Amino acid sequence: MRHGPGRSGRRGLRGSGQRGSGLPRTGVRGRGVRVRARRSAGARAGAAIVVPLLLTLVAAAGCDAGGPGAAGGSGGAAGSQPTAGAGATDLPGDIVLASGRDVTGKGGIRQQLIEQWNKEQESKGTGYRARLVELPGSADQQRSQLLGALQSGSADYDVVNLDVTWVPEFAAAGLVRPLPDQLVDDDVIESVAATSRWRDRVYAAPFNSDVGLLFYRRDYLQSAGVTQPDLGKDVRWPAVQKLFDTLDGAGRKLPDAYAKGWTTQLDASYEGLTVNGIEAFASATDGFALTDAEGRYAGSVKELQKGLEELRSRTQAAYTLPDAAQSDEADTLTDFAGGRTGFLRHWPYAYRTLHQSLSEQQLGVARLPGKAVLGGQNLAVADRSKRSGAALRLIEFLTGKESERCLLDAGFAATRRSAYVDDELVCKAAKPAGQATATPTGERTDRMPRDGSGRPGYARGTLLPALENAVQRPRTPLYGAFTQTFTAELGRLQGDKPPSAEELAKDLEAKLRRALSPE
Amino acid sequence: MARFDPRGKANRALLVGVPEYDFKQPDHPDGVSGDLEAVEHNLTGLARSLREGGVFARDEVVVVRPRTVDEFDRQLDTAVKAADGLLLFYFSGHGAVPSTGDELWLQMRGATIVRGGESVFRGSASWKGVLTVLARATAEQVVVILDCCYAGNASTAWDALGAAQRQRTSLLMSVQANNRIDAGGGDSATPFTAQLIRLLRDGRSGHDGSGGGHGGDGGDGDDARDGEGGHGGGIGFADLADRLRAHMSTHHTTLREPPEPWEPQSRPATSGADVLLAAPAVHSPPAPPPAPPPVIPGPPGPPGGKRWGRLGRLGRPVAGRRLVTAVGVPAAVVGLATTAWFTVLGDDTAASCKPPVELRLLTDPDLEPTVRKAAKAYLTSGANRADDGCRRSGITVYSAASAAAVAAFNRQSDPWQRPAGNEENPQRDIGPQPDIWIPASRASVDRARPAASERTYVELEADASPFAYSPVVLAVPQLVAAEAPADRVGSLATLTAALKKREPRAEVRRTDPEYTDAGLLATVGLYGTAPQDPAAAERGVAQSGPPSRTGGELLCTLPDDDAADERTAALVPEFLLRTGVDCDSATRTRRTAAYPDDVPGLSPTFVRVRWRDAGLDAGVRDDAVRRFREWLTGKGAAEQGAAAGGGLAAFAQDGFRGPSGERLPLDPAAAQGTGAGTSFSDFGALSRPERLPEPAGQAAMTAALKGYREANGPGRVLFLLDSSGSMGGFWEGPGGAPAIIVQSLAGLGGTDEYGVWAVGTEPGGGRAHSELLPFGQHGREQAQRTIEASAKVRDVEADPYLALVAALEEMARRGTDDHRPQLIVYVTDDEDNNRLTEGSRLNDLLQSMRGSREPIPVVMASLDSGGCDKGKPDAAVSEASGGRCLDTKGDLVSRLRDEVARTGTGGQG
Repeated sequence: MRHGPGRSGRRGLRGSGQRGSGLPRTGVRGRGVRVRARRSAGARAGAAIVVPLLLTLVAAAGCDAGGPGAAGGSGGAAGSQPTAGAGATDLPGDIVLASGRDVTGKGGIRQQLIEQWNKEQESKGTGYRARLVELPGSADQQRSQLLGALQSGSADYDVVNLDVTWVPEFAAAGLVRPLPDQLVDDDVIESVAATSRWRDRVYAAPFNSDVGLLFYRRDYLQSAGVTQPDLGKDVRWPAVQKLFDTLDGAGRKLPDAYAKGWTTQLDASYEGLTVNGIEAFASATDGFALTDAEGRYAGSVKELQKGLEELRSRTQAAYTLPDAAQSDEADTLTDFAGGRTGFLRHWPYAYRTLHQSLSEQQLGVARLPGKAVLGGQNLAVADRSKRSGAALRLIEFLTGKESERCLLDAGFAATRRSAYVDDELVCKAAKPAGQATATPTGERTDRMPRDGSGRPGYARGTLLPALENAVQRPRTPLYGAFTQTFTAELGRLQGDKPPSAEELAKDLEAKLRRALSPE
Repeated sequence: MARFDPRGKANRALLVGVPEYDFKQPDHPDGVSGDLEAVEHNLTGLARSLREGGVFARDEVVVVRPRTVDEFDRQLDTAVKAADGLLLFYFSGHGAVPSTGDELWLQMRGATIVRGGESVFRGSASWKGVLTVLARATAEQVVVILDCCYAGNASTAWDALGAAQRQRTSLLMSVQANNRIDAGGGDSATPFTAQLIRLLRDGRSGHDGSGGGHGGDGGDGDDARDGEGGHGGGIGFADLADRLRAHMSTHHTTLREPPEPWEPQSRPATSGADVLLAAPAVHSPPAPPPAPPPVIPGPPGPPGGKRWGRLGRLGRPVAGRRLVTAVGVPAAVVGLATTAWFTVLGDDTAASCKPPVELRLLTDPDLEPTVRKAAKAYLTSGANRADDGCRRSGITVYSAASAAAVAAFNRQSDPWQRPAGNEENPQRDIGPQPDIWIPASRASVDRARPAASERTYVELEADASPFAYSPVVLAVPQLVAAEAPADRVGSLATLTAALKKREPRAEVRRTDPEYTDAGLLATVGLYGTAPQDPAAAERGVAQSGPPSRTGGELLCTLPDDDAADERTAALVPEFLLRTGVDCDSATRTRRTAAYPDDVPGLSPTFVRVRWRDAGLDAGVRDDAVRRFREWLTGKGAAEQGAAAGGGLAAFAQDGFRGPSGERLPLDPAAAQGTGAGTSFSDFGALSRPERLPEPAGQAAMTAALKGYREANGPGRVLFLLDSSGSMGGFWEGPGGAPAIIVQSLAGLGGTDEYGVWAVGTEPGGGRAHSELLPFGQHGREQAQRTIEASAKVRDVEADPYLALVAALEEMARRGTDDHRPQLIVYVTDDEDNNRLTEGSRLNDLLQSMRGSREPIPVVMASLDSGGCDKGKPDAAVSEASGGRCLDTKGDLVSRLRDEVARTGTGGQG
C-alpha cells in the first residue's frame, strides 16, 4: 500500500496517541501497546462491519453523523480505510468529477445528468455543485493522471471515473474509498456488479457498461441465400463460421466491396487484442480465470493452449479480414460499414453509429457466440475527497435507476436491469438526443431503432443478456503489466513464423507469471 | 570451519508468514495489534532469494499463510517429512509471550489472547511444540529463522533440546529476548528480513554486502566478515548471523524505552559445521541488484522513507508488531475451517505487488519514441525493482505540442492544477500534470519559467546541463547532396543556396514550429540574425498543405510523392535519419545530412516538475524520480557503477550524441566512425562534422516563435458549425460540437479575426447558413458566451456544399489585399455528405480549390470516426484545399486547436 509517508505518517500519528490501552504482561519493562490506525488491506474486515451502520446514518441524517473517526479514525478499526460517506461534515462547494474526454456523441448525457443533480442541489440549497473536469482522450493518460494526482495530491478530485480494469489497482493502492455495499444493489446486473469490488469490498459504482457484440449484415445473408438471416439468441461459433463460408461462396451476389467473413480488433499495440483474446480463452474453458482473488496468476498451460487454439480458429485467414491485425474499433467500424465484411465484433455504441448508415433490414446484432468481455466505467470516491458524503450522493444519483435509463436511451449500455425491463421507468432528468420523432420537414435526429418505450431496439433482447453472460478481463492491481504481456505474446501469432499453440502457451504462462508476481 | 553443503540433496524451505489477522484491536480487545503488511514482502522476497540461491530447487521452497494452527501443523509435518538434506523453517508474524512466562508463541491468522492468571494464546503455535516437531525431521541439518517480536525467547527451548538435536539444529532469532521490534511499513519487507534477503543475494552474487544502497544502510563498514572465502563463496549460517547482528545493532534499535540496540541472536548447530544457505553463482552470475533501497535509511537519509528511519533511530513509538493483552470479553472462537486458507503455490506463492508510484513524463513529440523506449527498458530493469521483486515505479510517457507545453508551464499552472472551466483545461489539452519533463531544448525550460512576479503552482527543477545532443540537420536527397564533408557544413543559407544550384527545383521543408522544439530551432536558423524578415523566410519554405507536425511525420510524408521526395530537403534532427526512416523504407529516397552551423541543436534535459501542495508522497516520488534520472542520464550515480546511465543506451541506439565536448555519438562504436556497430555514415550522417552548433538560447527561440506567428499578420478563421438535426447527439457537454469550437479559440489572439456560421437550410430553400458570431476581432470570453447562447441544433438538413462554397467566397473576399493566414473549419457529423457528393458538386468544389491561386485551407473536423478515411469526401475536401482532415480516430479536439493556433497569432506563449 504505497501512499507515501506523508499520508501514512499522519494517520500513524493519530493512532499512536492511543498508547497504553493494555499491557501484555507484567514484569517486562516497556511493553506498551500502541494501536496505529495505519491503512492496510487486511484490516478492512473491521471496516466492513462499520459500513451498514454508517449507511443507515447517512440515509437518516444526511451524512453528517459519525464523524471522521467513525471508521478508520481514532475510534475505528486499526488500519481500516474510511468508507465514503463517513466523511461526516462536508463543507459546501464543488464536487469535482474527473473523466476522460468523450466526443462520441454519448458524452452529452453525462453532462446533462450532472446538470440535473446540480439543479436539485440548488433547489435544496445544499451548497454542492458537481463539476466535470475532462482528462485527455487517451486511456493511458487518464490512468496516469488519476493515479499520479491521487497519490501525490497534485490535483483535487472527489469522484473519479475508472475504467473497469483499473478498479483493483486504485483500490489496492488505497486511492479510492470503500463504498457502502448497498450502493451496488441487486438491480445492478450481477456480472457488472462484480467489476465494482476488490477483495470483497465495493470501491466503484458501475456507471456505464460495455460488452462485446456481434453485428452482421442481414442483407448479405439474404443475398447469399441464407433462408434465416436472423441469428437468433444463442448462436454458436461453428454456425457463424458456416455463415462465413456461405458468404464466401456467394460470389457476385454480394457487392464488390465484400472481402471476408468478419473483422475484429486484433491490433497488438492496444487493448483490442486482449479483449478478443480473453473472449476466445473464456469461451474455450468453462470457468476460465487467469488470476485469483488476489490478482495473482492462476492459469494453466493447458487452459492457455485451449484458448490459443480457439483464438486461432476464430481468426483464421480464411474468413478474417487481413486488416483486422492492424485494426482498432474505428478501423473495424469503417470496414464493416463500408461493406467489406458480413460480420463485426464490436461494442454497443456501434449500434447507434451503424444505424446512421444502415437500415434495420440491413443490420442485425446478436450476442457474441461464446463469452463476451465486459468493458465500461465505474465511479469511485477519491480517498482524500473533502466532500465524500456529497460525492457519494452524486454517485448514487448518477448510477441510480433513472440515470441508468437515461444512459441506455442515449446509447450507453446501462448497468441496471431495471433500465432494460421496467417500462414504468423513464428518463426525465435529461433529454437524450433524438427521441424518435421524425419530423415532416427535416432529417431525423436519430436513426437508431427504438422499442415502444424509447429504448434502443436491441436493448432488452440482446444487450441485456449479453451483459448478463459477460466475463471480466483478469482482475489484478497489475493490469497494465498483464495486458502488455498478454498482447505482446498473442501478437506473435501474427508474425511470419507463428509459434505452435503449445509452445506459445508455455511462453505465455512463464511471462504472465512473471508479470503478475514479484520478479 | 567445515560447511554442510546441501546442494543435490532433497531440501525443503518452509516459509510461514502471517500478514493479516482476523481479530485486531480495538474492534477485538483480545485480538492482535494489527496486520503486518511487511510480512507479505518478507515472503515474496525471501522465497525469491532462496529459489535463486542455488541451494533449494524452485519447488523446494514452499510459502504458506496459515489461517489456523491445524493448517500450520499440517504444513510443518509435510515439510519435515520432505527434507533429507537441509530443512529450513522461517516464521514471520506476531510473536507473543505470556505475562508470567518466557515461552514464545507464534500467532496465526485467527490468533486471540485470553487474559487471566496466565495468558492463553488461542490460534497460536507453541514454539516449543514446533521445535519438537522439527526435532523429528530426518533432515541432516535444520535451520530455523524467526522474525517476530520476542524471537530471542526461542533460545530457551533450543537450549533444552537434546545434544543430538542441538548438533544439527541452527537457530537465528531476529531480536534479543523480551524485546519488541519495528515491523516496517507496508511498502517493503521488515528491517530484519530485508537485510537477510540482501545478504543471501549478495552471497549468491559474490558481493560482500558492503555495496548497498544509498543512505548508508547497506554500506556498513562494520559488518563482521571472516574475509576468508574459504568455503568457496556463497553465504552460510554463521556468516549470515554475524552480519545480521552487526548490521542490525548498528542501524536499528528495538522498541524498548529507552531504546536498546537491536541485536539478533543465534544458536549455531553444536557440531561446529556451518550450513551453506546461498551458493555462489556458477555461470555468468546475474548482475547484482543495483542499489537496493534501504529499508531503514541511516543518516544521511534520502528523502524517501525517512519516517521509519528517524523514528526507529530515536526510539520513538513506531508501529510494529506488538504483543497485546486481552481485556474482558473472550474472543470469538476462530473458525477451524476445513477449507485451507493457506495455499501451497509453488511458483506463484508470490503475493501481488502493490501498485507503485506513478510518474507522469511529458516530453517533446520528436523525442517521444526514444524516451518511451528508454522508460520501457527502465520499468522492467533491475534498477526499478525493490528487494521484494516488485517495481518501484510506473512511468507513462506522453507528448504535447512544445509551444503549448511551454505556455502551460509559463502561465497556465493554475488551471493545469485546477481546471475551472471547459475552455481552459491543460489537464485535457496538454495532458497529465507531469512529474518529469524532458523538453528537446534546454532553453525551453527558461521559456517555460514564469516571471518572478507571477503566481505559479509549479516548480521546474532542471538539470544544469542536457544529457544528450542532436543537431538539426538539412537532410538532403542523396542524388542532389554534396559529398565532401567540408561542403556539408556551413550556414543554412549557404547550404540551401548550394543545393538550389545543384538542383534548381529543390525545396526545403521544416516542421511546425509550434509543435516541436526542432521545428522552432529550424526556424531560428531560417530567420537568421537581424535584420530578420520572417515573412520572406517563410516564403522560402512555403508548401501546399499544412506543415508536418514532427520530424518523423515529415520524413514519412515525403515518399508519398516520389518526385518531391527526390528533390526536397528536410530540416530535421539528425537522429531521425536513423529512427525516422522506417516507413516506405524500400522505395524512399536516401538522404544525407548537411550541418547548418546557425541552426541550434537539440539538447534534451531532465526536468523535475513539482506541483504546489502535492507532497502526499513526496519522499517516495522524489526517490523514484531520482532513481530514474540517475539511470536515464547517468548523473549523480557514480556509485551505481554499470547500472548508471542505462537509459542513455536507448539514446545511443537512436543516434544521439553526447551533450558536451566534441559531442561524439553516444554509441561508442558509432563514435569511432568505423568498425563494429552502426556507423553514422550508414544513415547518411557524419560522426565528426567539422562544426556542431551550440544549443539555442531562450531569446532566440522566443523571438523566432513570435516572428513565425506574426510573419503574415493576424489570421482569419471562419468556423462552420453543422447545426442540422443529426448533430443533436454531438451537441451537449464539453465534447459537443459548440464546445469543440469554443476550445479551439484558445489559439486566437486579440488581433485575429474570426466568426461562426451555423450550417442548416430552412425548409423551402433559403440560405445554407446563418451567422452565430459575426466575423471580426473578439474578446475570447465574450465570443464564447455568444456562441454558447446562440448555437442551437435545429430540425433542418445541412447542405455542406453550399455552405463551403459560400465560406470560400467570403474568405476570398476578405483576403483580397493581403497575405494573412486564413482558415475555414467545418465541424460536422457527415450526416448530410450526400448533399456534397451529389451530381458533380464534389468534383467541382475540389477543382476550384485546386485551381485557386491562393488556396484557403479547409479543416474538416468530422465527428464520425471514419470521416477522414481514404476516399471520404471530408478527406478529399481538406486535401484539395491544403487543410487537414480530423476525425475522432485521433484526438480531434487537440488537433483542431493546434490548427487554429497555427493560423492565429495565438494566445499561447
